[in-house]
Amino acid sequence: MNMQTQNPTRIIFASFFKSGFKAKRTRVFILLSLIPVVLMLAARVMETAGSLAADASADFFAKVMLVLYFQLLIPVLALFFGSTIVNEELDNKTLVYLTTVPVSRRAVLLGKYLAAFLQATLLVGAGFLLCFLAAALTRLGEAAAWEELAVFLGTALLAMFCYSALFTAAGAFMKKSVLIGLFFVFGWESVVQYFPGITQKFTIIHWIKSLLPVLPGEGGFLIFQLQPSPAMESVLILLGAGCVFLFLAVFIFERKEYILSDNA
Amino acid sequence: MTAVLKAEKLSKWYGNILGISDINLEIGSGITGLLGPNGAGKSTFLKIAAGQLKPKIGSLTVFGAAVFGNHRLFRRIGFCPEHDSAYMEMSGWQFILLLARLHGFDRNEAGAMSEKALATVGLLESKDREIKGYSFGMRQRLRLASSILHEPEMLMLDEPLRGVDPLWRIKIMKLIKDYGKQGRTVIISSHILPEIEAMTSEIVLIHQGKIFSKGDIHRIRGLIDSHPHQVSIRCLQPRQLAQKLIDSDFVLSVDFDKDGHSLTVKTNQRDLFFTVLIGLIAESGLEIEEITSPDDNLQAVFDYLIGK
Repeated sequence: MNMQTQNPTRIIFASFFKSGFKAKRTRVFILLSLIPVVLMLAARVMETAGSLAADASADFFAKVMLVLYFQLLIPVLALFFGSTIVNEELDNKTLVYLTTVPVSRRAVLLGKYLAAFLQATLLVGAGFLLCFLAAALTRLGEAAAWEELAVFLGTALLAMFCYSALFTAAGAFMKKSVLIGLFFVFGWESVVQYFPGITQKFTIIHWIKSLLPVLPGEGGFLIFQLQPSPAMESVLILLGAGCVFLFLAVFIFERKEYILSDNA
Repeated sequence: MTAVLKAEKLSKWYGNILGISDINLEIGSGITGLLGPNGAGKSTFLKIAAGQLKPKIGSLTVFGAAVFGNHRLFRRIGFCPEHDSAYMEMSGWQFILLLARLHGFDRNEAGAMSEKALATVGLLESKDREIKGYSFGMRQRLRLASSILHEPEMLMLDEPLRGVDPLWRIKIMKLIKDYGKQGRTVIISSHILPEIEAMTSEIVLIHQGKIFSKGDIHRIRGLIDSHPHQVSIRCLQPRQLAQKLIDSDFVLSVDFDKDGHSLTVKTNQRDLFFTVLIGLIAESGLEIEEITSPDDNLQAVFDYLIGK
């Protein structure tokens, strides 16, 4: 027998990344992530037809990015992809197969996390790119337009990393983590981000919005109360928080006993 | 006997519900049957042995080491769970290949091991079908394949014959017996006595979370055979039949059922009773419509053995 040392995280990642696209959930989210693209295209058509003011689609692009992507799609995708990493294994009673092989639980969780993270990021990234192309059709030759896209994509990557790590930890800790996650996204994150002073810094969205290339006041009422933090600080906070959440997820998953019901 | 598995004062409960209680047990190489009615604690015991659950009190070691969180042990252990579960979006081949790769085999070796395991359980021809298209019995065989693919030194099988068709039942029993003959350790749980009897004479009786008895099946068979069995006979002449049976030493009581066409006989020597009954039927020409044994199941036997 040739028992080579192989990277189990990579094996798990490759397998679940591939099979994840066959899941019904992924197909639903592909459709969901197309909604901003459709809206963006509609804005572009209306602008071309003269129903909207010139350059209105660029402004609309910024709003679509902020409201639909950063405040809705990214947290929701991260919630469903992150929390199901462990919960799906429990619901389908398949966890036993990954925990009765000579592979550490850390490798199992990280492999599955990377697969879910990449799937969710690809969905968002593809939508981003299409929205950008529709919005910046007349500015594609300008470097500033591509720089703006790079900032949006980079911020989306950080946001997805942080949110999905948080929801992975929640999913490893409790079974009904989706409900708690929905409350977090639509309750805590939606409300506390508008609190004045330091309080808004206790939300993830605060650090995400601090990175977006839209100045306060330019993005409409939804961000006028933002008191942005410095960009570097925001990047470090998002990266650090994501790493802490991921470490927490591994810590819980390695130690927790998961009872797959029907114990006899 | 060198103990491969050792449990000491092992207890486990879920909230207020008892799983197993104060189990002391040593299991060596060869096949050991875990026998007990549904809910007896067999699966809880196997799940602790397979590192799926943590002991609440006491300890359980396999090859001298605690199992929970000790993933390296699974190079030597194979576990077939009771749940009808699998990655339904994967094909049988993808599923087994994934597990083979996770066992540390390189791509070629994993392919060969997967092919062998699937061929052993008769799924090679349907390996490319998605698992959700498999029948219950096929999924059960796939689970078995997942547990034997790395040819472990110790195999733990939780109700592996459930839902398997008769032909494959015989083949799987032979496979398990062959494993035992090779000097490996096999622990197999079931609530069906003849199933276990066909594979091993070494059994452990579990009831209400405790080890009720352990040892050679013949000793336990003796206990079981002394259990007063109820036999219900439906015939056209129940009173005549009762008259012929009532004087026998091995008949403890005879009751007539309300329908007027059945009687229930309680006997403490089931085998002798049936021999005599067959003789009586042949001799007297009594017309028997149906013979059933309402308590001929493991739960009834356990209830008797523990003096309920």
